Amino acid sequence: METYLKNKKLTALGFLLIHAIAILIFTRGFLLTRTELPFHSTCSDVSLSPCLASPRSNHDSSSGQSNQTQPKCWTKPVVDRVIIIVLDALRIDFVAPSAFFPEPKPWMDKLTILQTLAFANDSSAKIFKAFADPPTTSLQRLKGLTTGGLPTFIDIGNSFGAPAIVEDNFINQLVLNGKRLVMMGDDTWTQLFPNQFQKSYPFPSFNVKDLDTVDNGCIEHLFPTLFKDDWDVLIAHFLGVDHAGHIFGVDSSPMINKLEQYNSVLEKVINILESQAGPGGLHENTMLIVMGDHGQTLNGDHGGGTAEEVETTMFAMSTKKHTTLVPPEFDTSSCKQNKDGKQMCISYIEQLDFAATLSALLGISFPFGSIGHVNPELYALGSSSWNLDKSDLGNFGTQSAANEWMKHYVDVLCVNAWQVKRYIDVYSNSSVVGFSSDDMSRISDLYSAAEQNWSNSVKHILMDRNGDDGSTDISALLKEQIAEYLNFFSSVVELARSKWTEFNLNLMITGFGILVISLILQFLAVFHGDKSYAVGSWLSTGAAFTLFIVTIRACSFLSNSYILEEGKVANFLLATTGLIKLRYSVMRKTMRKEAFMFLAMVFVLRVSIDIGLTKQAATSQFMSSSPSWMLGIAPDHPALTYAIEIAPILSVVILICVLYVAIAKAPNEGVWKYVTVGSMVSYFFIALLWASESKIFGLDQLLQVTGGRNRIPQTVYVIGLVQLCLLASARMFCTEKDKNWAIRTVALVSACSSPIILLSGKQGSMLALVYLVAGYCIMRLEGVERRTKSDGQSKFSKLNPLCVVQWSLLSICMFFASGHWCAFDGLRYGAAFVGFDEFVLIRQAILLTIETFGFSIILSVFGLPLLIPFHSQTPQAHGEKRHQLFQMYMLFGVISATTVTATILCVTIQRRHLMVWGLFAPKFVFDVVDLILTDLLICLASAYYL
Amino acid sequence: MKEAKEKKNPEISVSITISTWGAFAVYVITGLFLIFGFHVVRNKYSVDLISDPTLTLRLLWIIEFPIVVIIYSLFRRNPEKCSYFRAVGRSLVGLIAGALINALGAVSLGAPIGMQSLSKTIHWSFLMSVFTVVPATAVLGASWIDWHRIFASLKPIGIIEHMLLVPAYGAIIGGWFGAWPMPLDWERPWQEWPICVCYGAIGGYIGGQMVSLLTLLSEHKNLKLA
Repeated sequence: METYLKNKKLTALGFLLIHAIAILIFTRGFLLTRTELPFHSTCSDVSLSPCLASPRSNHDSSSGQSNQTQPKCWTKPVVDRVIIIVLDALRIDFVAPSAFFPEPKPWMDKLTILQTLAFANDSSAKIFKAFADPPTTSLQRLKGLTTGGLPTFIDIGNSFGAPAIVEDNFINQLVLNGKRLVMMGDDTWTQLFPNQFQKSYPFPSFNVKDLDTVDNGCIEHLFPTLFKDDWDVLIAHFLGVDHAGHIFGVDSSPMINKLEQYNSVLEKVINILESQAGPGGLHENTMLIVMGDHGQTLNGDHGGGTAEEVETTMFAMSTKKHTTLVPPEFDTSSCKQNKDGKQMCISYIEQLDFAATLSALLGISFPFGSIGHVNPELYALGSSSWNLDKSDLGNFGTQSAANEWMKHYVDVLCVNAWQVKRYIDVYSNSSVVGFSSDDMSRISDLYSAAEQNWSNSVKHILMDRNGDDGSTDISALLKEQIAEYLNFFSSVVELARSKWTEFNLNLMITGFGILVISLILQFLAVFHGDKSYAVGSWLSTGAAFTLFIVTIRACSFLSNSYILEEGKVANFLLATTGLIKLRYSVMRKTMRKEAFMFLAMVFVLRVSIDIGLTKQAATSQFMSSSPSWMLGIAPDHPALTYAIEIAPILSVVILICVLYVAIAKAPNEGVWKYVTVGSMVSYFFIALLWASESKIFGLDQLLQVTGGRNRIPQTVYVIGLVQLCLLASARMFCTEKDKNWAIRTVALVSACSSPIILLSGKQGSMLALVYLVAGYCIMRLEGVERRTKSDGQSKFSKLNPLCVVQWSLLSICMFFASGHWCAFDGLRYGAAFVGFDEFVLIRQAILLTIETFGFSIILSVFGLPLLIPFHSQTPQAHGEKRHQLFQMYMLFGVISATTVTATILCVTIQRRHLMVWGLFAPKFVFDVVDLILTDLLICLASAYYL
Repeated sequence: MKEAKEKKNPEISVSITISTWGAFAVYVITGLFLIFGFHVVRNKYSVDLISDPTLTLRLLWIIEFPIVVIIYSLFRRNPEKCSYFRAVGRSLVGLIAGALINALGAVSLGAPIGMQSLSKTIHWSFLMSVFTVVPATAVLGASWIDWHRIFASLKPIGIIEHMLLVPAYGAIIGGWFGAWPMPLDWERPWQEWPICVCYGAIGGYIGGQMVSLLTLLSEHKNLKLA
């Protein structure tokens, strides 16, 4: 018997391991992670590169450029000022002419000013089709644009909670190089870059229904700023199109109005620029970039990786009226003819290359983590500035002008390639999960080949300014070198994409498969493990109903709507089980009071979940629920304030009384009893803390007496730890095993509950009371469908699975009722600082975990034995009960595992869904943590109880 | 109405028994009145369940309630002791009590409890009461033992008790399933409380009627064969 039980304990451990492995494998395939490196590029770094002896130094002096006063960093600056206008969620078909698309739609050809400029003869403007890497949410995209990297769902960095970018980025480099920045519009920028802007006019971005505040604020500040000379880089971020898409969709009149408004704004901006573009003018050498951060679907959604979402656009224009023609080998433009037969071309750029290209244009060091390369066409737009002089001076003709441009470009690419290689090397060495050595050696080979070519031939051409060699010869060499560099870049980007943006479906399916197998094993363990104690037969109504509830809940995860309203769904199912129990209790004419009480508790939880949902709706971008109910009392009514202050304290007092009754009934049980008394002391402290925090008791001085607000919580934590140690040692050294285990359960649960209640805040005690009453009702109602009044005291009966399902549903409801939801903004970060002021990662993370999963997992797993009605105290019954308890734990584990398997299936199916990063991935993370924690606690609990 | 009156005489003469065909006729009449109710709502008031759920539900139960009471009171227990009008009177009490029970059940399952949905909830629960509790009060009265036997233990005796039990459970189960589309983000007007629950309940009610008819028919056959 003992060895048998030992095996069972190992079973629990085995399932923990299987689940951990399955989830680890799945996560490797699904949750792409990237380590943020804390390194920064500096101007002096370039001396380490092979491009050190670049000919530009003598080049500069010989051509007598005026900007020698400006210290050169990595590359020579080619534009003086940059205006970046970001139009959020700008689809490619908003900007590109309708001739590029199968059929014209009402929202096309609205930004006519951009088209006119780009397709004018001898223009210095270009329209690009820009590719944004998923996840296509504004925050991730801005991060990607500025760092030149590929932000993933989880960037492992040291920013806990705050979104500020830690990695080296374009904005940071601008500041380091003494450029002055002005920002206006979306306040995401100021969250990402809290200190970098010299001037900023942020406007709140989260009110999706507001189409105009951000845009009008932008416009108000944009035009005056254009006439000032106290900035080098201007960023204006308009949100109207994004919001119009979210609310009305793309095909709507507000969207078209917005686009027309933007057209007039851009027209005005360009007029100002052109009026100031003369020699010595403010915008003599300015580049204007109008770009989207990502696209949107016709419904206005974005976040995923569909073509509509990742295809956005970029318009770039230089105020200098001359453009170098890019050699056709590096020209990516695709051309169409419009109705008048006019040739129109749009080029292609990746947003990944934005940071590198702009850094090269402005002549600053490239962000450390950028893996993009300098885009030839965008670079050519700006690089007209020096070619103008040359072609006039020497009159070499276009061929030689092109050669001249390529010389510059290849030099820039040399620095660029060196910087990317450096990042890849450093990342691979310092990251937890770096690149594989095969990939690394392939990249290194490509790089060294390009480098070889560079040092052997091209470098000398660049050094040698006397162009005696045939220009075609030089041109061919340069082209070959550029092609080699581009080849290197493309393989780096391919590798990075496969690592950071593509799901590994094989790993995902393997993980899912292992989980399904473990689920089947668990089911076998529950239903066939031990015939005499197993959960009824498959055909019993209780088992069938259990299966139905678990299945319908699992199926509900296949839709995003049910995930959003998971709390309500769980509550609905819990109430359904309550009604079924009520029917049985009416039928058996027993326990009717308990059944009604249970429904009442479900109602309380439901109100609490409703309140939580309104909180969620306030921050979630997917929900627009309005509070479905309103109390008729004004929120600051004095009676209500008193009730809110007193109710939590009253609940704590009731809990103390309950504990007292629980231990007073039991015979003297030594250490278990003392532990419970310790919890009562903890509860008392909690009540004291809350009483002193509220104003109505006049206990303000108490805080001073006890030494600040942190003293009491810390005392409660210490008491809790001591209790747990006592319980563990008592379990280990106490030889008599046939003790009454109700008191043991009470001791453990009460020891855990005091910190949880403290961390949950004032609602905690009331919820704990609701949980207690509901749990009591479930225990009383267990097996009500078989039991009649007469045989209520009869011998031990088989386990009814329905009560375990109820308990599990109740714990899920508790998670939502305590104001959580499955998103990272659903975490109550404040709880991490109860009792502590300073931040220590591990300690605060533990507190946050306890707060988040306290009611839903810790108390529910440890409290499960309370569900077994204790009728007889004979040793034999005790042995039976231990088997039954194990069975219950297995069942509880199966229910959690089924939920997680359903979530994982859903995530696998919906991995291309637009809400995958906003909704499914957080849900997945929460469920996975939930499962592992449940398994772990089941192991601990079976070690403690069995 | 005419049909009901025609039936009145032969039915009463055979006291409280009813044939399978009688059950069929009762179901057809209640079903026709449900359709009639929808017809009135659409043509007289030119609204429907989606545009004005409160008015529609009110009209529906006001039209359906009398016919249910009139028909089921014919089959009341102990017709000698209990007059027809007494059966009608107690079904009025049953209407209110049943509405209360249904409303409480709906709220515990998650029906909105705001002031703006109060009238909808009230009229929905009256309609549910007409489907579930009213026929049983008309027939059984306050006989708790019968109630307990039929609705809790699910052991109906005879055709009429079968007719009380199956459609009532059908309406409840239909309503339960009808609630599932509510959280979906299709943004259709019929996803509002209580429209789809109401459709579900009506569907379940009619489904329950069909199921009970089929079981009655098969039992009938078995009896004949025996």
